[in-house]
Amino acid sequence: MGSKTTGGDKGGARVIALPADFRLGSVADVKAELIDAFDAPATQLDGAGVERVDTAALQLLVAFRREATARGQSPSWLGISDVIRDAAGVLGLAQALELPAPMPA
Amino acid sequence: MSKAGLAQFQQVFIEESLEGLDTMESSLLALDDGGDAELVHTIFRAAHSIKGGAATFGFPEMSSFTHEAESLLDEVRSGKRPIDASIIELMLRTVDCLRGMFARAQAGEPLNDAVAEGLRNELAAAMGRGTPVATTARRNVDQADAWTIRFRPHAGMLAGGNEPLRLIRELADLGELAVAPSLDALPAFAALEPTECHIGWTIELKGPVKRADIAGVFDWVEGECDLEIEAKHVVADIAPAAAPVAAPAAAPAPNVADAGTARAQREANAESSSVRVSIDKIDGLINLVGELVITQSMLDTFREGELDASRIAVLEQGLAQLARHTRELQESVMGIRLLPIASVFNRFPRMVRDISQKLGKQVKLELIGEQTELDKTVLEKIGDPMVHLVRNAIDHGLETPDKRRAAGKGDTGTLTLHASHRGGNVVVEVSDDGAGLNRDAIVAKAIQRGIITSAEGMSDDAVAELIFQPGFSTAAVTTDLSGRGVGMDVVRRNVSDLGGTVTIRSTQGKGSVFTITLPLTLAIIDGLTAAVGEERYIVPLVSIVESVQLKADAVRSVAGGGELFRFRGEYLPVIRLHDAFGCDGAIHAIDDGLMVVVEGDGARVGLFVDGLIGQQQAVVKSLEANYRRVQGVSGATILADGSVALIVDIAGLVRMQGRKKAA
Repeated sequence: MGSKTTGGDKGGARVIALPADFRLGSVADVKAELIDAFDAPATQLDGAGVERVDTAALQLLVAFRREATARGQSPSWLGISDVIRDAAGVLGLAQALELPAPMPA
Repeated sequence: MSKAGLAQFQQVFIEESLEGLDTMESSLLALDDGGDAELVHTIFRAAHSIKGGAATFGFPEMSSFTHEAESLLDEVRSGKRPIDASIIELMLRTVDCLRGMFARAQAGEPLNDAVAEGLRNELAAAMGRGTPVATTARRNVDQADAWTIRFRPHAGMLAGGNEPLRLIRELADLGELAVAPSLDALPAFAALEPTECHIGWTIELKGPVKRADIAGVFDWVEGECDLEIEAKHVVADIAPAAAPVAAPAAAPAPNVADAGTARAQREANAESSSVRVSIDKIDGLINLVGELVITQSMLDTFREGELDASRIAVLEQGLAQLARHTRELQESVMGIRLLPIASVFNRFPRMVRDISQKLGKQVKLELIGEQTELDKTVLEKIGDPMVHLVRNAIDHGLETPDKRRAAGKGDTGTLTLHASHRGGNVVVEVSDDGAGLNRDAIVAKAIQRGIITSAEGMSDDAVAELIFQPGFSTAAVTTDLSGRGVGMDVVRRNVSDLGGTVTIRSTQGKGSVFTITLPLTLAIIDGLTAAVGEERYIVPLVSIVESVQLKADAVRSVAGGGELFRFRGEYLPVIRLHDAFGCDGAIHAIDDGLMVVVEGDGARVGLFVDGLIGQQQAVVKSLEANYRRVQGVSGATILADGSVALIVDIAGLVRMQGRKKAA
């Protein structure tokens, strides 16, 4: 996990890399990081490396997107692992998470 | 979750599941005896918990195996299939098989084996077999082509380890799903407690599914969520269920389950290294420690100021309080190690059922005093001797129905296991109303084996004692039940290793009672402190018969170097403790010292010591753990003055003496 501000992007979009084990045990840490991200003009979620995910994690992301959108920030996805897609599908949260359709590499 | 974390939970899961299996087994046996329908629910719940847990903790083979059993149980539970002896039998073997799987899980071996495979096929075959009882009356409610499920987890459900993701996936196994989340209750981001669940779901399930199957998915989260399951009647153009619940019926496999091996594995499991303690006991301890702290601070006030007469009375009172609290604390701490004997008793209903069926005998088992508590260590080791006594009682004691009728008794024999506290001991009785010991047969056998030359003048009790002699077995034919080379002598040795005794009381034609007397705990013994030269030894009080002062000429040397003295009509060998342990400065003259008559390993001997100092409770410290095993010594303790005293192992000393004589 870690966040950085991409220097090249004008305004500096914050990239949040989600942890590989993104479950109940790590949601509090991720939440703290996401709160910081509200200060940035834009955020990008990098979920490419997520290997395990649970309801708590997806719920956190749904709440984050809702809040960010309300603040006029439009968070986007930098990468989405199959695990996230699958879990979001099962829980019916794909739409709420605005997961883009899978693109060929 | 880290690997180590998961392994820790796996262990807890295994322990809980083994308890669940015990519950299943006892409920099945009760059901066999005509128990009520609630038992089926109990069995089902146990199976369901194991299934769910196995899936969560990474034992998919176990989960799918249990699923087969659960499906069958579900049909019984919902009244679609009558429970009969064949199902009970099948389920009992399933329990054995699962125990085997858990044993392999703990050993890190592959879970499936031929037994499991065979049984899985049998379960599947049983599902396919016969037409389930029709339940047309409830069909409308129980079965539908489409369902609406409203599922709203309570906030704490995630923290409880229950994952909606898994539940919904399980639902997806039943049929086609359309999942719509409800996010109304999701708080603003800042206010969101991320480990709580604030999302609910409305799930449309399409497919011919039974309500019970849907409810079954949520069994585990009962009370942790709001759940509504509503049947919808939909036209039949819906895609069929993605995966049928019941596994395909397979040809019935040969019965390869070997209950014996499964049981052996279970016994190996029984020695787990943790104790569960009730909150009450812990609260009691905390309370006592609190008292102790108060007393200590009260005593602390005596550090300051003059200690005049008026304060001495208060000081004495404080010390008395300290002594009382310390003793109570000690008892409470000991109490933590005490567990009800039920865990040992519980293995017998099944065993008695199996053995009596095998032998064609009718046996009613009565368990009394299952809540009697005793030390965990004792509990773990008392199982095998008891198994032996129970086997013997059914095999040799109780008669076949024909013989019972001929003897004017009812067809069914009664076997009673009775546990109770008597003083500082736990007494376990194994009694039967069978034929009792056959004096003539025992005497004949004992003479044949050269244990005695004649039974003349021997009391019935003395004859009964003969069965505890090594190499004695009265069964004309050794069966695979009793008589596997392990005799009553081993039972007696095992029990005496625990510091206990076994006695028998038998009446020909009326039955036998074996009485096992065990110390409540192995951690503390009552003993007499004996002085030998500069050393102090503790002689366990249970083994002391009496102590006498002898005249110098009362002890006679015999050929071969031994010494004997006459005690109440019999000659007993003398063991001089200073000789046995090589102590300097001890009293050698018989009339200056004291002869303590002790009993151990079935024999009486005189222990010659300088004198007895007093009685005390000794907290046993293991010599093996701190040093190494020493012959004739069972442990050590620390005396009031801080010095170490060894605890004499009477049985070991007697054996040592026997070897010395033989050498």
